[in-house]
Formats: sequence, C-alpha cells, structure tokens
Amino acid sequence: MPSATLLGQALISGVLAGGMYGLLALGLSLSWGLLRLVNLSHFALAFLAAYLTYELGTTYHVAPWWAAAMIVPVMFLIGLAQHWLFDRFKVNELASLLITFSFAVILEVAIQLYWTADYRRFETHYSTMSIKVGGFYIPVLELVLCMVAGLLAWGTWLWLRKTYVGKALRAAAEDADIAAAYGVDHKKLAYLLSGMGAAYAAIAGTFIALIATLAPTQIWAWLGVVFAVVIIGRLGNPLGALLAGMLIGASESIAMAVFEPAWAPVVSFSVLIAILLWDPEWL
Amino acid sequence: MLLEARNLHVGYGDATAIWDVSLDVDAGEIVAVIGPNGAGKTTLINAMAGLLRCRKGDLRFDGADMTGVRAHDYCSHGIALVPEGRRLFVKMSVEENLELGCYLASARAHRQESLERVYGLFPILRDKRRQPAGELSGGQQQMVAIGRALMARPRIVLFDEPSLGLAPTIVDDMFDIIARVRQDGAAVLLVEQNVLKALDVADRAYVLEQGRIVSTGLPADLLQQPHIREAYLGV
Repeated sequence: MPSATLLGQALISGVLAGGMYGLLALGLSLSWGLLRLVNLSHFALAFLAAYLTYELGTTYHVAPWWAAAMIVPVMFLIGLAQHWLFDRFKVNELASLLITFSFAVILEVAIQLYWTADYRRFETHYSTMSIKVGGFYIPVLELVLCMVAGLLAWGTWLWLRKTYVGKALRAAAEDADIAAAYGVDHKKLAYLLSGMGAAYAAIAGTFIALIATLAPTQIWAWLGVVFAVVIIGRLGNPLGALLAGMLIGASESIAMAVFEPAWAPVVSFSVLIAILLWDPEWL
Repeated sequence: MLLEARNLHVGYGDATAIWDVSLDVDAGEIVAVIGPNGAGKTTLINAMAGLLRCRKGDLRFDGADMTGVRAHDYCSHGIALVPEGRRLFVKMSVEENLELGCYLASARAHRQESLERVYGLFPILRDKRRQPAGELSGGQQQMVAIGRALMARPRIVLFDEPSLGLAPTIVDDMFDIIARVRQDGAAVLLVEQNVLKALDVADRAYVLEQGRIVSTGLPADLLQQPHIREAYLGV
C-alpha cells in the first residue's frame, strides 16, 4: 500500500488530468445530448488545433493564448461548415458516428501529411512549472486548464439553464416539433451549438499542445475514456461532463498508484459499467 | 374570418390523410371537430399548427397565406397548439415549460404578466413550478400544456384531445378552462372524441370521418341527426 503522501499526490494529479477529459467531453456531450449527433471528429479537431498552436508557437513564436484567440473563431466556422453537411444530408445519430469517424480519419491523414508522423513537443518555460502546497506538487498548466474547463462548463451550464436560447435547445432536444410550434428555430440554434462544440475542441487543443506530446495517432488515444466521461456525466450536461472527467482522472491515477500503471485504461470503463449497473437517480 | 381552410389536403409521405377539408374559425368562436379514432383529427390540427405541410388547398390566418410559412413562424401569427398527449418537455421544470410558450420576443415582453395569469388559472402549478414537468399527474400536465399555449398570448388556441386519458372530474375542469380561454379573447379550435362535452362547449362543429368533413352545423342541430346519434351517442 502506498503512503498517504503518494495517494494524495495521485489524487491531485488525477483530478487535474481529469480536467482535460472534462474539457474534451464538453463539446462532445453538447452535440450528442442536444443535437443527437455523435461527433467523433471532435478529437481530430482538437488535435488540429493543437498542431496549429504548436506551429504558430514554434515557427512564428506566437504565444499559445494568442494562438487560441486566432484558432477558436476559425474552429467555430469549421463547426458551422460541418453542421451544414449534417443538415444538408439529414444525418441522424448513427450516421453521424460513421461520417464523423471518416472526418477524423481524413484529418488524421492531413495532419500526418503536413506535420509527418514524428512526435512533436511544444516546449515552453512554464510547461514544467508547479507550485508546492502543503507537501503536494500542483502543475500550473493543468491547474489553469482545470480553471478554464471549470469556467466553460459552468458558463455553459448557466447558459443552458438561464437563457431562452439554452432552454429552447433543451426543449428542442426533447421534442423538436413542439418547440418549433412555439417559435424555436431549431436549425439555427443547432448551427450555433455545433460551432460552439468545435470552438471548445479548439480550446482543448491549445492545452493538448502544451501538455501532451503530439502525434497524429494520438487523436484516438482519448476516445474511449472521453466517451465514458460523456456518458457518466449525462449527455448534454456540461457540469456533469467536467465532474465525470475529474472522477475518471482521479480513479485512473489512484489505480496507477495502488496497482500498476497498466491498470489505468481499465478504470474508466469499470467505473462506467459500475455506474450503469448501479443506475443512480441522477444518471 | 380568423382561420380559413379551403379544400385542404394533408398527408404523410405517400399517404393522404385529409381530403378536401374546408373549415372556418371566427374570432372569439369555439369550433369543435368531432370524429372517430383515425379520422384524421390530429393530422388536421397539426396542419393548422404548421407541423405538417398542406399538399393542396389554401390555409389562411387573419387573411395571411400560411401554406408557405415555416413551422417555427406559425406561433408569431398568434397560433398556439395544445398537442395530443400533452407533449411537455418532461425533463424541464414546469416554469421552463411555460417559459417556452413565451419564447418569441413579443410574448416574452409579457412574461411576468402571462405567468401570473396562468398561475391564477392553475394555482397548483405555482407550487410545482420547480418540479420536472414529467413528475406531474396527467391532469396537472394538461394544465401545463394549456398554460404553455396561453403564455404565447395566442389569438387562437388549437386543442387536440384535451380530455384524453384524464379522470372524469378533471375532464369537466378542462372544458371549463376552454370556455375561459374564449372569454379571455382567444378563438378555440377543439378536436375531440368526447362528443357530448365538445358539442356542449362549442358554438359550431364539424364532423370528420375518414379524412373528410361529412357534416357541419350548430351543435344542437348535429345532435338531432340520426347518423350522429347512432355513431357517436349510441342511441
């Protein structure tokens, strides 16, 4: 059994790492829950943003926050374009899975053509910075990531609960025809939400560039975990996605500390299966 | 005329469900459409609400041609639907359901006033306003569905089988509410299987059978027709 300090450190690192799961899950959960579109290319868009951040940073020495400020609006437009295709070809839930899978493969190949299959690492002087609190190390970048993810999740949650547009989106997800009978132009709102999902992918991508080592195949690395996170957090629930991300991150990290690192990938789906079997009220 | 349908044909895919239906509702009127299960009553009312396209014919509301209007623009003309089976947003709270009724800017400006009116009409909804609509009883859900329609400040309310699946005492309340809606200034188009109740509250009525209007007139006159007495009242 590892020491309390090690477990505490594992818990902190896990929760912070889980922030990335939550941030990636956010856009996926919104489009799946509210538009019934499962967007597998979400991960590829995040990596495209990550590579762009890397390129802007290493070649043109653009700071990542400025890079994000440029990439996020572009990704929003890509999200709109993607939704135009869904709309034009009347893509349903199952078809969206297949089509966005192919989008992701195309993006993976495009990334590989331009940046090659080599591993890329965006080195910054703050990438290894950490602060020490009561004997535990807290990596600064991941702390910032969690704060950004928290603000986005909370803001989105408030937007969905408190604004008319948010309420209209939730209503249309339940019964689009009746929402339309009360004046909700679901088509227009769906474009907005798709753009937002892609913009969230871009924000996640900026952090991926700073935290992870980039390789085209890494697009698929988080797929399973983030899917589990989206389900556990409930579809279309931004705060749920973030909390589920942190829960999975912490569970993985503790499993690694208590057993061995090889056990980590088993954790997310074990938690998912356990929660589905348990079937609590809030799920 | 407020609502004017002329030779309307409505259908799903290849199948036509409504043939050559002509129907009028004037301002301040309660008009009932009665008919057996499967006669096309819901199809007719959904076409009036813009949820289904008209194949052929003419649909006018307050003189404006509605056949080319998109579904989400019907509400802005002053048409509100109380759909069959209520179709509430069951995961959302009672008050959120009501707020969806005043989604459009013109109705939203009167949100507070409309909410007070609905809570005045259905005091129980004020107590339950934070609860998910799906947790309410059938009668209370019907109140939410009617309240949602009133929130839109409509000029006509389309009621689709408001008595379906409700206990008899609550059915009486629903018909009282329908009369109240008219008193407050909106016209009513009511589609019902509960023929006696519908004819009791209506000013005029149409009989729809197998997708066609087979008879029309004042409720008292319709109740005298042997066919109506036999088919709908069993006497």
